[in-house]
Amino acid sequence: MSLAVDFLGMKLKNPIIVAASPLSGNGSMIKKAIDSGAGAIVTQTIANEVRQNVRPRIAANSLGMQNIELYSNLTLEEWEREIYYVKEKEATIIANILAHTPSEMAYIAKKVERFGVDAIELGISIPHGEGVELLISDMERLYNLTKMAVDSVNIPVIVKFSPNVSNLTALAKVVERAGASAISAIDTIRSILGVDIDKAKVMLPTYGGYSGEGIRPIALATVAGISQAVKIPVSGIGGIDNYENVLEFMMLGASTVQLCTSLIMNGYGRIGEILADLENWLEDKGYSSINEIRGLALASLKSFEEISIEPYIAKIKDVCTEDDCRECVKACMYNAISVKDGKIHIDDSKCMGCGLCVSLCKNKKIYLDW
Amino acid sequence: MANIRKISKLAGVSVATVSRVLNHPETVSQETRNRILMVMEEVNYVPNNLARSLTTNRTSTIGLIIPNILNPLYPSIAKGVEDVFYKKGYNILLSNTEDDAKREKASIEMLLGKKVDGLIICSSILGEDDFNIIVKQGVPFVLLGEYMEDSDINIVYTDYQLGAYLATTHLIKAGYKKIAHIAGPLNRKASIEKLEGYKKALLEARLKYNEEYVFEGNNQIDGGQLALKKILKKKGKPDAIFVANDLMALGVIEAIKVLGYKVPADIAVVGFDDIDVASLIEPKLTTVTHPVYRMGLTAARLLLDNITNEEEDCFKQKIFIQPMLKIRKSCGYDNRMEEIFS
Repeated sequence: MSLAVDFLGMKLKNPIIVAASPLSGNGSMIKKAIDSGAGAIVTQTIANEVRQNVRPRIAANSLGMQNIELYSNLTLEEWEREIYYVKEKEATIIANILAHTPSEMAYIAKKVERFGVDAIELGISIPHGEGVELLISDMERLYNLTKMAVDSVNIPVIVKFSPNVSNLTALAKVVERAGASAISAIDTIRSILGVDIDKAKVMLPTYGGYSGEGIRPIALATVAGISQAVKIPVSGIGGIDNYENVLEFMMLGASTVQLCTSLIMNGYGRIGEILADLENWLEDKGYSSINEIRGLALASLKSFEEISIEPYIAKIKDVCTEDDCRECVKACMYNAISVKDGKIHIDDSKCMGCGLCVSLCKNKKIYLDW
Repeated sequence: MANIRKISKLAGVSVATVSRVLNHPETVSQETRNRILMVMEEVNYVPNNLARSLTTNRTSTIGLIIPNILNPLYPSIAKGVEDVFYKKGYNILLSNTEDDAKREKASIEMLLGKKVDGLIICSSILGEDDFNIIVKQGVPFVLLGEYMEDSDINIVYTDYQLGAYLATTHLIKAGYKKIAHIAGPLNRKASIEKLEGYKKALLEARLKYNEEYVFEGNNQIDGGQLALKKILKKKGKPDAIFVANDLMALGVIEAIKVLGYKVPADIAVVGFDDIDVASLIEPKLTTVTHPVYRMGLTAARLLLDNITNEEEDCFKQKIFIQPMLKIRKSCGYDNRMEEIFS
């Protein structure tokens, strides 16, 4: 069983990439990521001008994390040394760079190419510190930024997308036309994590980027949309925490995946766990390479008009023994599910076939049929 | 005075080894290196940079020419330049020209005479031909400030017209109709470009452009105060003013307050440059970032690439650094969603 993937001509030993983040903020941190088995590492965003980070700048709840961290605190010159240091390890390093004009982008791209990185990711989707309008939101600007970066270097250029804009698939086509080698999606989503109601104060003092589990469904939809719209590969990002999530992204068309929040919360050890689980699952299912699963779930994705209307209603397989669990009863909007003589009972005449109870049932005792 | 011959004798090594300690310390074993460094310390040895320059044909010095040392923009540029060059062991010679073409030419000649390794010239008022003297000597140089079309010169520039357009459009968006402009000296290209940006924004919003609402100032605080008084006297109270630089905007805000009006309730003000005090005065000044520090950094990096010949593709680069609107309080715009990281 092989986890190796070919991504933009780079041979990665597995599809797990550490995303641009404070986790990849300098050489020694990147080295840790390499040692923990990641297939590649994307550096923290490298910009022309270093901006001081505010304190505090990260907060989390059970579903995700908000950050208002900006870019790397290292200068371009300092990154030369850091990259030289990590390249001794023969790791695949992707430089995430940010600039606001095509000529500035081209300059930084050329610089980091000379430092020896293997590919470049344009970090032009950061939802904080850059104003409301994202750099990617304007098609002409997006085209020019991408085109000039692509034309100025001989290594692949990836463009990072965020869902803070409308019609991402149209933007994906723009960067493909501009010569980008891949798209990574999604960057964090503009957010306010919460309000401390006792103090009547927001958790972090400004809008920030939301990441982690909570954004995964949005990321999955974005990746599915982009991977069907363009031919260039997609690197999936957004709330990946276990091997199942990796498979979800890849089955929706991603060639590689990027992790960050989960690694911040659980440590780099998580990479090894995911890789082992991934290998076991693929072996169990009889796959010989991870590449075989790419895009498998896309065929099941239909447009709304394609879905045929069938008279499904909920049925229960055998007797439910989870006496403490009454999720299906509580959640049935049509009052079709009740408990009779200690058993779950579904009233066929009331069930409207919405299917919510099927997704809620822990033991998969409920199914739809007609 | 101790020279490297004396050091070599005292340390019992060859002159070449001492030289290597100075120039490529990594090629000398640690033990020998430490012994030589100790001897140097004992005899208070200081390398003779003049002699070194003669053999390397490098002075590790660059020239930085600026037009006005009192304008807070230029220290920011100088800091950007210094931040890059200091770490590479270069010194910077600073020359102030007082916006005078003759002085600018003289500065270039003086710095070339000092055999600088490269030159950065800010907001030059010279033409392309005037730089031939630098080109002929083979000294790399970078212009910083304004774009020069069709020239074979390294340029790091920003777009004043775009910045002024952003500022004026913002005032229009905030609902102001009677918007005046206090321009910089109109013999300067940057001032004219800002005026053009102001005009463009008005016309695009189908507001009438009226020459009588444009007042010229001297880019200093007192110029702003004076222009504000003139506006009130000649045209009455405008809703808002786009001021071509922050120094004048400070003067404008001061004068508005002295005359008993309030900013932004009576008159909204937007500046240009984003100098440090812009975020400290009351009300905090909405302005356009003139990304001077970043321009300084970029110009320095470009020059360093040229000096060290790192740039194999030797075509000259023109790097555009974008101005950005910083929304604070003086414009009276309440949509806090857009005010991020002021």
